[in-house]
Amino acid sequence: MKNHMIANALGLILTGFGVILLSPVVVALMEKEYSSILPFCVASAIGVGLGLLLQWRGGWNHNFDRIKRNEGLLIVTLTWIVTAAVGAIPYLFYGLTPLDAYFESVSGITTTGATILKDFSHYPKDFFFWRSLTQWLGGMGIIVLFVAILPQFAVAGRQMFFAEAPGPTDDKITPRIAHTAKALWLIYVLLTLLEIVLLRVSGLTLFDAVCNSLTTMAAGGFSPHPQSIMGYANPAVTWIITCFMFLAGCNFALQYRFMVQRTPGPLFKSEEFRLYCTLILVLSAGLCLILMYGHQLPFSVSIRDSFFQVISIITTAGFSSTDFALWIVPAQAILILVMCVGGCAGSAGGGVKVVRILFTGKFLKREVAQVLHPQAVLPVKIDSKTVPDDIQRQMLGFLLFYVVLMVFSGLAVTMIEGNPSVGFIGTAATIGNIGPGFGAIGPMGTFGFLSVPTKIIFIIDMVVGRLELIPFLVMLHPDFWGKG
Amino acid sequence: MEVYIKKIATTDFHKTPKSSRGQGKELKKMQIIIYGATDVGYMIASRLCPDNDITIIDDGERLPEKFANLDISHVAGSGADFDTLEKANCKKTNLFIACTLIDEANIVACWTVKKISEPQTVCFVSRVAIYNNLLSNRQHHYHTKYDIDTIIWPERLLTEDIFRIIMVPEALDVEYFDDGKIKLLEYRIKEDSPLCNKKIMDYAFPAGVLIGGITRDGELSIPSGKTEIEAEDKVIFMGTGNALDLLAAGLFATNNRIKSAAIIGGGNVGYFLAQQMEHAGIKVKIIELDTERCNFLADNLRSLVLQGDGTDLALLEQESIGNMDVVVSVTSNDEKNLLCSLLVKQLGVHRIITRTNNDQNTELFERVGIDVVVSPRESAMKELLNLMHAKDMDILALVAGGQGEVLRVSLGENFKETSVMDLKLPDNAIIGFIKRGKRIIVPNGLTVVQAGDRLKIFTMTENTESILSLFTP
Repeated sequence: MKNHMIANALGLILTGFGVILLSPVVVALMEKEYSSILPFCVASAIGVGLGLLLQWRGGWNHNFDRIKRNEGLLIVTLTWIVTAAVGAIPYLFYGLTPLDAYFESVSGITTTGATILKDFSHYPKDFFFWRSLTQWLGGMGIIVLFVAILPQFAVAGRQMFFAEAPGPTDDKITPRIAHTAKALWLIYVLLTLLEIVLLRVSGLTLFDAVCNSLTTMAAGGFSPHPQSIMGYANPAVTWIITCFMFLAGCNFALQYRFMVQRTPGPLFKSEEFRLYCTLILVLSAGLCLILMYGHQLPFSVSIRDSFFQVISIITTAGFSSTDFALWIVPAQAILILVMCVGGCAGSAGGGVKVVRILFTGKFLKREVAQVLHPQAVLPVKIDSKTVPDDIQRQMLGFLLFYVVLMVFSGLAVTMIEGNPSVGFIGTAATIGNIGPGFGAIGPMGTFGFLSVPTKIIFIIDMVVGRLELIPFLVMLHPDFWGKG
Repeated sequence: MEVYIKKIATTDFHKTPKSSRGQGKELKKMQIIIYGATDVGYMIASRLCPDNDITIIDDGERLPEKFANLDISHVAGSGADFDTLEKANCKKTNLFIACTLIDEANIVACWTVKKISEPQTVCFVSRVAIYNNLLSNRQHHYHTKYDIDTIIWPERLLTEDIFRIIMVPEALDVEYFDDGKIKLLEYRIKEDSPLCNKKIMDYAFPAGVLIGGITRDGELSIPSGKTEIEAEDKVIFMGTGNALDLLAAGLFATNNRIKSAAIIGGGNVGYFLAQQMEHAGIKVKIIELDTERCNFLADNLRSLVLQGDGTDLALLEQESIGNMDVVVSVTSNDEKNLLCSLLVKQLGVHRIITRTNNDQNTELFERVGIDVVVSPRESAMKELLNLMHAKDMDILALVAGGQGEVLRVSLGENFKETSVMDLKLPDNAIIGFIKRGKRIIVPNGLTVVQAGDRLKIFTMTENTESILSLFTP
């Protein structure tokens, strides 16, 4: 473990993040909220200062080419923890406790979208803009961002890139990792801009259009409106956001191929994408029927809400176009089911990821077939390609850890809060980076009333869920800290 | 009067016909160079040496012992070496066949020959990637062509042969003419067949089918209406695809569509066969012993891949191989193929296709009751002969070890209309069908042939000359 190298990398990223922290100042100037300038300047100064300090400690050595696997993982994990901390600084100026500020910041940067805010009217627009921006930065991944913009990470980026997005597929769309990162961000930025334009055209103010777009593309779920998308009462806006959430939950690398390289084949032939579409269509249709007959809602409303809500939860955005915590139980059950799926690998969405669900299904089918044909060689294939053994193990391991973490975290919260619904649904909503759960922590509720230990557990859940468990778990192994 | 006659396909070469193949005036001796004194090289040399001048180039100083009884010349050296090729007199060569065991050496030798002169080159390959590269329809996409006239991959050809046989149930041999519009099928008549012990004229054949020949105890004869068919006869039917399907439905009451198949041995042949069967919608089980290869097969096929030994009775029973419509035994070991085939026959499989690598085994296998025996070398040889015949010979197909032939005769512009009866064909010649424009006519005695018709005539090899003279002034 080369501490100076880690300090350097972290310092470099923090310095960059500090500079980005200045961007809300522009909004503050535009919206004439001059009181908001100070918090962001202070936060930015702390970020840059800390960054420079770390780089000074590290000896200004910006050659990360010989980075090792465990160092890469540590840098990624620390980056998320520390940037969330720096990003929480502005919130302190608006009367939040340090823990609440950190919770809000982590929830933002991990694109969870769970909020501790109880009353939205206390806070200026700048505050909401920063909340949305943290989600947008976290959506594509902070590391991916810095690999794209900082030339120092040209080589080392590989390690860190895959540490941050350790999905089972490592689709590089271009030979160079820095170029891949740029390509992904290009798609991300273009889609965001397009959504801003569309939302603006359909009647939102520029500020609302920007904030909602940033969080939609990140599959985040923070909205500057206290009642989320429902508050705008605008069907066009609901449908636009539905579409972009759908895109945010698709593999960006395949979208890049489709849109920039003009090869639609890989996207439409991808089994993961097909399952993702099938799940959305089937479950939305089911939900639509439940809403029509269970709640006597008109067709146009039930189809809009069912599609919006299923996509919102499956992509782990967590927006709400209605207060789904008030729905009847079968409708809520569908949403809980969707909560356990998550977006596609390589998307902004979190959760288990569709490809792992697909794999699990095929794996179980294989096990059954193996009983019938004990001597048969039955590979598990995704996209007609056999999934290698190590990846299979990794995926099964992931699922197991996911379940274990969910059970323990859920039990712990249930004991603390005395409420199993908050315990398990809240855990599912935070590990999966979804955001709102049901009941008190539902879309119109808040996480603000939870006790301190619960908030700490949820913070851990969010970070671990965003990094897909593995980088976090390896740190628990003694060898990780060894000299090797 | 013009006669245009062509030889296209030949089958069943393991018994070289005693007859005078090559007697025809238009057959000239070819100068052939064979590069590589391999088994394939030996087979080609022995088949072609009576009628052609053959030179073998081989890296070894001396030819293997078995070549000693062939009337051929030998040049030691590399096929990619100008001096060696000059020594082998390659400037006068019509045909250059590269059949060493190394694909790359074959390719380079073919190129080198083309630098010196313009013979036809035939290149033997044994690997998928190289075969695909060399395929002509694919290389046209790229800058420069490979410049090799014919690629022969014995195992691929074998696969195609097996597949054709499988797709026609019960048939021992299948040939397609005119893109499959006309087929030639060979069936073995069993005791319970409605045809058995009947005169040909007494059985109501569907329109469009006729019997071209009957092989009894290895002797081919061209039947007349009075000929009686006995059990264990191999009968050759010719006709249009539909009519033959009707015939098969009548003769073999069971539903004959192949729906499931087992392949024992997952080598190249097994792999490609499974691929083709999957395309044809057949459910396939492959048995392969090697674990690595099993993984490869499982990765690349949708079929069920079983890791185990084809002679493992427990495995065969557990996977109910006995209920399969067809079992293909294509391991690289002849003895194992034989054992597997006999075993699955015991289990009740009706159609078994067995691969052999050693030509001597073919007859042996047939004697112990294996219906269809195939060999990659035979397939390759067939292709090679097709190629040579396409140049300047006149026989469409050889049947029953070359005792019979299918001739194609095109009638010239000023041919007078004559009925088939008046053609005065020899007794043992049958006009199988007439192609007029796009129509196909299966003739009887009253049918009139006219200018522009193309006839397919089934005959004994020794009558070829006299039939040709009928149509020639």
